[in-house]
Amino acid sequence: MEKDTMIGELVRLVGRENVLSSDMHFKLYEYDASLIRSKPDCIVLPTSTEQVSKVVKFAHDHKIPVIARGAGTNLSGGSVTVRGGIAIVLTKMNRILDMDIENLRVVVEPGVVTLDLKNVLARHGYLYQPDPASEKVTTIGGNFAENSGGPHCLKYGVTSNHVLGVELVLYDGQVVQVGGKALDNPGYDLMGVLGGSEGTLGIITQAVLRIMPKAEAVKTMLCIYNSIEEGGNTVTAIIGEGIIPATLEMMDNLTIKAVEEAYHVGFPTDAAAILIIELDGLKDGMERLTERILDICRQNNVREIRVAKDQAERDKIWAGRKGAFGAVGRLRPNYLVNDGTVPRTRLPETLAKVVEIGKKYNLPIANVFHAGDGNLHPLILFDERDKDELARVHAAAMEIMKLCVDMGGTISGEHGIGVEKIEGMSLIFSDSDIAAMKKVKAAFDPLNLFNPGKVLPETEKAA
Amino acid sequence: MSNSNQWISALKGIIGEPNVIQDPDRLKAYAVDGLAPKAVVIPGSVEEVSRLLAYAYLEKLAVVPRGNGTKMAAGGIPLKVDLVLSMLRINRITEHDIPNLSLSVEAGITLAEVQKKLVATGKGSFLPLDPPYSEQATIGGIIATNSSGPRRYLYSSARDLLLGLKAVSPNGDVVAFGGKTVKNVSGYDMTKLMIGSWGALGVITEITTKLLPLPEASATLLASFGDLAKAGSLTRKILHSVLLPSAMELMDGKAADRLGEKARYLVAFSLEGVGEAVERQVAEIGELAKREGAVDTKVLKGEDDRTFWIRVRDFALASVGARLIAPLPVILRSNVVISKLPEILGRYETMARDAGIGCALIGHAGNGILTSYILDYGAAKMGPVVDLIGKFTDEAAKHEGNLIVESSPRDLKERVSVWGRPRSDDVVMRRLKETVDPGGILNPGRFVGGV
Repeated sequence: MEKDTMIGELVRLVGRENVLSSDMHFKLYEYDASLIRSKPDCIVLPTSTEQVSKVVKFAHDHKIPVIARGAGTNLSGGSVTVRGGIAIVLTKMNRILDMDIENLRVVVEPGVVTLDLKNVLARHGYLYQPDPASEKVTTIGGNFAENSGGPHCLKYGVTSNHVLGVELVLYDGQVVQVGGKALDNPGYDLMGVLGGSEGTLGIITQAVLRIMPKAEAVKTMLCIYNSIEEGGNTVTAIIGEGIIPATLEMMDNLTIKAVEEAYHVGFPTDAAAILIIELDGLKDGMERLTERILDICRQNNVREIRVAKDQAERDKIWAGRKGAFGAVGRLRPNYLVNDGTVPRTRLPETLAKVVEIGKKYNLPIANVFHAGDGNLHPLILFDERDKDELARVHAAAMEIMKLCVDMGGTISGEHGIGVEKIEGMSLIFSDSDIAAMKKVKAAFDPLNLFNPGKVLPETEKAA
Repeated sequence: MSNSNQWISALKGIIGEPNVIQDPDRLKAYAVDGLAPKAVVIPGSVEEVSRLLAYAYLEKLAVVPRGNGTKMAAGGIPLKVDLVLSMLRINRITEHDIPNLSLSVEAGITLAEVQKKLVATGKGSFLPLDPPYSEQATIGGIIATNSSGPRRYLYSSARDLLLGLKAVSPNGDVVAFGGKTVKNVSGYDMTKLMIGSWGALGVITEITTKLLPLPEASATLLASFGDLAKAGSLTRKILHSVLLPSAMELMDGKAADRLGEKARYLVAFSLEGVGEAVERQVAEIGELAKREGAVDTKVLKGEDDRTFWIRVRDFALASVGARLIAPLPVILRSNVVISKLPEILGRYETMARDAGIGCALIGHAGNGILTSYILDYGAAKMGPVVDLIGKFTDEAAKHEGNLIVESSPRDLKERVSVWGRPRSDDVVMRRLKETVDPGGILNPGRFVGGV
C-alpha cells in the first residue's frame, strides 16, 4: 500500500490528532534504548481499545506490520520497526481505570507509567511490586511485554507474576479478555505466554495487576567491599544459608564512581564493589536475620557496613542504584548492556570472566547486577562512530552471552531478545524448542504482522 | 490407521513387551470415564516417550498421559482413549542444586518423595506446593493440572515457582524451556503455558523449580465463629494487614465437622517462618479474632499442626477418628474476586441446603478459590446437583469468576460443563491446540478447547 494512502486511512480511523507522519516524527520513533534503528511508515497514538482494534484490523487486511510501543526504553531493539509498518504508541492510553483495593487489584491502560501507578498506590498503603530501574519512565504495557524485572523480583518475582489479566487485541482486530481479577481461570495459561512475548502475539489495551499491602518493616544495608569477588561470595553465601532477602544488588567500581559523580549519594569511590541488601516483611525476627546477614558479610571481608537509618537514607541508596545506567551513560557516547543470567552460585566466576572479556577486546565494562538473581548487567562503553570499536563491542557481547550459557544460565534475564540477541537464541534452544515457540506464534499471529523480526530466529540452523 | 494388534506390537518394539499392559482385566483400572484404553505403555526414558508419541502422532492414536491417577475423575469425557501413557518409571531427581535453591525432577516421582529427600538434605528445604493427595500425586500430574493447596496464599502456585520444564511435543519432539536461573526472558515463557495444560500440548517429562528454606517454626490458629459475616471480616482484615499467614482457609460447619472441629464457621490460619513472627502472629490474629466475635480460638502445634493441614488438603479422603470415609466423587471449584469469597460461601451454603444436598465448603480466603465437596452424591441426586452446579456457576460469574468440576462421575459430566462458562479467549486456546496438536492425539476432549 502507498504510504500516503495508508496515512490517509489511519487518519480516518483514529483522527488527525492521533497520527504522526512528519520526517521529524519518523526520526523520533526510529529508535529505542538499544543500538537498533529503523523508521516506521506511520505512527498512531490511539486513545481507546476500539481504535487499537481498528488499526490492527486495517493492518491485517493490508498485511502491514504493527508494533506496539510505550516509552521506547527497550534495551534489545524490541520497540524498533525493523520491517517498517505502523508504530502503535500507547502513551495516550494512560488511565488507571479501576482501583479495586478490596480485591487487591488495579486495572490500568498500557500507557500508565509504572512509577506513577506506584505513587498513587502508596497513598493508599499498597504496592505493585515490580520495580524496573527505569520505572520513572517505562509503561506497564512495555513492562508486561518484556516481562521486566527489577531489584525486588528476587523475593517477589518478575512482572508476569503480578499481571493477572489483560484485554488483548488479536491479529484480526478481535478483542478478548485473558485471565482477570480472579485467579485460576479455566484453560491454557495464555497470560503466562503473553508475558515477555515482546509484542509478537498481540497488543494489550488493559492490564489487571496484583497489588499488596506495604510491608511492615524494611531494612536496607549498604555493604562495601575491597574486592568484587568477596561481594559475589557474600551473595552466594547468603542464599546458601537459606536466606532470601528482598534484594541483593551489586555494582562495581566503575559504576560506583560514575554514580557518585552524577548523583552524590555517598558511595565510596575507592570501593571495588558495593552490595545493597534489603530485607522486608514483619519486624519480628528481622534484627536477628540482619545480624546473620552481617555475619556472612564479615566472614567475606566486608570493609564497611552502613545500615540506612530512615527512609531518606534508603531513598539515597536506591537513587544511586536506579540511576546507574544513566550515570554510566555519561562516561562514553554509547553503551551496550547485556543481561545474561547465570545460576546465582556461578556469579563470582562469571564476573571474573566478564572482566577478562573486557580486557581481551580492550573495552571498558561497568557492572551493575541483580546479584541475588544471578542477573548480570555488564555495560560495555564505546563510541559508535568508531567502527572498529563497535565491531569489538558486538563480539564481546556475543562472548558474554556464550559465557552465561556455558555457566548453565541464559542470554536474557529481563531485557528481552528483541533483535539484538536473536542470534543468541540458538545457544540455548534447539530447533525443536524454537519450532514449538513458532507454533505458539502461529496460533496468535498467523500472518506474522505483530512485531515481525523479533524474538524468534526466522531461519533454522541446517538440520 | 493400522489395527490395534499391529500398533500394539509396534509399541512393544519401542519399549519392550513387559512395559505394555494389554490384559483387559488390568486395563479396566486405567479406564477414563468408563473408556478403557487398548493398551497402557510404561516408558522408561524420555527417549522412549518421544518415540511412542512420534508413533501415536503418525497413527493418530489418542494418548492419555498419567501419573498415579489422582486426577482421573477430572476433565471432560475423552473423545477417545487408545493409549494410557504411564510416567511412573520416569521418576528420578535429576539435579538438586542446594546452594542455588533449585531442583530438577522427572514427572513420575511423587511430591511426597521429593519433600522427604529435601527435608533430609543439607539444611533442609521444601517445594512449596501442597495439592490434594500429595502422598500419591506425581510432580508431572500436579504441574500438568496446576494443582494447588491452602499454602499458595503465601507461597503462590506452580506458575510462580517453576524455572524450567522439559516435555515431549505431540509429534515426538523433545523440547526444553526455561532453565535454572530465577530470571529468564529468553524466548516465550513456554513453561507457564505448559503448567495446567492437562497434557494437551505435550507430555511433561521434567521440571526445574525454586525451593524454599524450611521455615524455622510453624503453628496453626483456628478461630470458630457463629456468624459468617464476622468470620469474613476477620479474613478481610488479615488480607489487608501486614501479617503474612501461609494459609487462610474459611470453611462452613459441615467442612469443620468432617475435620473433627466443632464450629458453625471456621477460619484456619497456618503461620510459618521465623519463630518470633510465628508467635506474634498467633497472638495477634487470636486477639483480632476475639475482637471480631470469634466464639473460640485454638492453637495447634507440632504433629497436630501438621496433620490438620494434611486433612484439609486431602479433604475428599478425610477420615474422622478411625473411620475412613470413602473419597467424595463430586468436587467443584469456583474462582471469584477475593473480597466476595465469604459472601459467596454463604450463598452456596443456602443454595445447597435449599436443594437438600449435603455440601461442605472450603475457601482459600486469600486467593478467592472456593471448593465445594458434595457429601451425599448418588444417582437420585443427579438432577438437583446439576441444577446446583448451574446456580453455583451463575453466582461465581457474577463476581468475575467461573466454576469447574474438579471431580465427577461420567453420568454427571454428561449433563454439565466441566470447564465452566466459555470465555472470550477460547478462540485462541482452540487455535493453539490445533496448531500444536493438529491430529488431536493428546488427551482429546478432556481439556478446554479439546479438539
